[in-house]
Amino acid sequence: MQVAHSIKGRLRSIQSSFSVNQLSRTLFAPWRKIISYPGASFQDKVRAWGDNLFSRIIGFVIRISVLIAAAIAIVLTVVLTVIEIVLWPLLPLAVPVLLIAGFFI
Amino acid sequence: MSAPLNLDSKRAREARLGARIGATGYRLLIVFAGLSLATAVTLCVLGMKKLGFPLASLGLALILPALWWKRHLSVLPVHGDTFTDHLSYEALSLLQPSTEQTPHGIWLALQHHWHSNFLANHLLLNKQLIVEALRADSNDLDEALQIAADLATKSGSRNIEPIHLSAGLLMQSQSIGRQLVNMKSQPQDIEEVALWLAHDLAENHKAKQNFGGIGRDWAFGYTPLLDRMGQNISQAIMKHNARFGSATDSEGVRAVEAVFNNRASAVALIGPDGIGKSTTVYALARRLIEGNTGEALAYHQVVSINATDVTSNARAPRDLEDIMIRITNEASYAGHILLFFDDAQLFFSDGAGAFDASHILLSIIQSRAVPIILALSPSDFQRLRGQNPSLASLLTPVILQEPSEATVMRSLEDSAVTFENRSKVLIAYEALHEAYRLSGRYEQDEAYPGKAIKLLEQSVSHANSSVVSALSVQQAVEQTRGIKVSSAAPQEADALLHLEDMIHQRMINQSHAVSVVANALRRARAGVTNPRRPIGSFLFLGPTGVGKTELAKAIAATYFGAESSMIRLDMSEYQQPDDVQRLLSAGENDASLLLAVRRQPFSVVLLDEIEKAHPNVLNLLLQMLDEGQLTDSSGRAASFKDCVIIATSNAGSQTIRERVSQGASLDSFAGELSDQLITSGQFKPELLNRFDEMVLFRPLTVDELAQVVKLMLQEVNVTLTNQNISVELTDAAIASIVEQGNDPRLGARPMRRALQRAVEDTIAQKILRGETRPGDHVVLDAPDLPT
Repeated sequence: MQVAHSIKGRLRSIQSSFSVNQLSRTLFAPWRKIISYPGASFQDKVRAWGDNLFSRIIGFVIRISVLIAAAIAIVLTVVLTVIEIVLWPLLPLAVPVLLIAGFFI
Repeated sequence: MSAPLNLDSKRAREARLGARIGATGYRLLIVFAGLSLATAVTLCVLGMKKLGFPLASLGLALILPALWWKRHLSVLPVHGDTFTDHLSYEALSLLQPSTEQTPHGIWLALQHHWHSNFLANHLLLNKQLIVEALRADSNDLDEALQIAADLATKSGSRNIEPIHLSAGLLMQSQSIGRQLVNMKSQPQDIEEVALWLAHDLAENHKAKQNFGGIGRDWAFGYTPLLDRMGQNISQAIMKHNARFGSATDSEGVRAVEAVFNNRASAVALIGPDGIGKSTTVYALARRLIEGNTGEALAYHQVVSINATDVTSNARAPRDLEDIMIRITNEASYAGHILLFFDDAQLFFSDGAGAFDASHILLSIIQSRAVPIILALSPSDFQRLRGQNPSLASLLTPVILQEPSEATVMRSLEDSAVTFENRSKVLIAYEALHEAYRLSGRYEQDEAYPGKAIKLLEQSVSHANSSVVSALSVQQAVEQTRGIKVSSAAPQEADALLHLEDMIHQRMINQSHAVSVVANALRRARAGVTNPRRPIGSFLFLGPTGVGKTELAKAIAATYFGAESSMIRLDMSEYQQPDDVQRLLSAGENDASLLLAVRRQPFSVVLLDEIEKAHPNVLNLLLQMLDEGQLTDSSGRAASFKDCVIIATSNAGSQTIRERVSQGASLDSFAGELSDQLITSGQFKPELLNRFDEMVLFRPLTVDELAQVVKLMLQEVNVTLTNQNISVELTDAAIASIVEQGNDPRLGARPMRRALQRAVEDTIAQKILRGETRPGDHVVLDAPDLPT
């Protein structure tokens, strides 16, 4: 129970630190709202569309990078926690094992 | 009987072991473990595994106790139902198996812990006296432990901390309770101080926030102009991790949040100065950047716009409009800005540091482009309603109510911690109580909690040996308001006890009147009068020239420090119904009684010839005498609670003169005179009943007039001191002056003129003729005086 609580807390902290919710919601939004407003002519409209698409691509790339980093952090945390749970009771054994291993290597 | 605490349990032993290792031990273990492991890895990489493996073994051997300490010993989670099972690691680590299980023994174990110090210091309790009191008390540890457990529950803590335990020990002690009462504190203060620290600990234990993480603002626009023109409250809060204690969950914050979550775009935050409009917005800003709010405002940043900053950035008046439009456009475009207009009335009026931007704000609010909070006082909101009803109707009003005493005390506790850290002082709990009490009594223009916090802050500069006590608060009030609120010092107490003698140094006889007034002043200074009414209110009745005004002056000089501490109103100037407005004007003219009292709240208010005032004016006086305050035309109250109100009248003079000449004592016909004044219609009974006392002055006898002449001669001699000349009158000369000046209708009043003619004129001529020179002592006899 306590372990589950601990994992939940760590995951929540990663989710918050990497702004997972906000970034997921605004994945395709323009970067920092930098957008062009379309002019009257067709050419202006095409240029504005192109500019805004570029801003959205920049935004997407940065956000997806951070989301991937968050996903890696989450996976690592889960794995490390599981390892910790498994190895924690064995850790005291590692002390004599390493000491003895030193003599036989 | 078994001991209430099991101090030999596994948990207790672990706590003591944890304390022995401590944070320092933990750090050392981690450092050596890190070094060992790093060296082991290096050796293994270099092929020296025979050395590397044992070193790694050592590293792990060091890391194991460190991790045990961090995850278990220093936390010691609660499991079990006994009292010992609920004691925190800190509390349990202080107790040894040898600790005597009595309140005295437990206190000895806890007394050096900072929680116990906090408790004792903030209650101004001497620690040696605590030890002695607990030693002398009956040994009821069970009761103390029960109180400690209840306190922990009350403060929302799962663990019983040293503060709960210390407070429990003090609260069960009757001797400590008596000690607190002797210090004019309350035994309940122990619990209040314990909860104060417990709340502070809970606030500090809250995990550090990351305020939305790295990508929070990436979907929002940049705000270069707002960064320059406004103050980003949210950034400041994030930078300093500022917390707002009890304000974070206040009703005001919840109300504003609810309004925005209901799709409103503009809120008028309404409340008088000091009620916490800015604090409400700051606390809201904290909640927003924590994301603890509805979707509408999640992760919004609050930017405060100051009218002075906007005007100072405008080169010409027309720039103001331009700046305002650019600011709001930028906020709207950015998408995560909540604009806060503090002192919003400055954006609706022209004048120094102000400009009328109401039409711009109207269009912004109509377009719902950006959420806005306007901070306004109730009167400013009313004015806005009158001037610009369409704008006012678009604002959703959130009216902040004055908080309860408990809430104000919590705010004071939060502020006291800040002041203590900033000024390196200790603020005793009694100072918080006193700041609450005195600000309520003397600060009429501001609301709680602001006025109490402001007074507490002013009191810091009156700290004695770095301790801010109730006396420091009293001194702050005395300095800023010129009012005596602290207990009378021995010298002053002596003067109060001999007030009659001091008054009689400048007043002849009228002993009854003097004694009545002196008693009222002593009652007030000893704090045994009704604090919601003036110090004293008297109606002085008697013929002209018997000393009514002189007694008022004497009180001003002896009790209030100077004759100038007297506000004198000639009520014959208030004979028209409209004169009420003049009396209550908000300070536009000097005749305003309220303005005068605000300038001199500690003074004698002399209402001369009160019977001549218009009945409307007299009705107003009823309120002043009853409630100790009047409210001016702008709604501001002025307090008369530190004034002595004296009304004088010649009404009934004839009766007094007749009855005294018949040999009657003043007391014997006071009731009869009162009835006569009511039946003749000169005074309404409700007015007469409002005065604390009706004081009768009797006509002066010839002997008393002679004493008056002697007093006046002393004044003449004071004037002649500059010339180094002194004058003395023989008894015959005095009798002659009395004879010349005696007019039963005018009392002692003609005496000054007679003395002037007889003595001052004579001396002036002698000086001019060269008969009197500096250093001379002149004795004047009756024949020397002009006839």
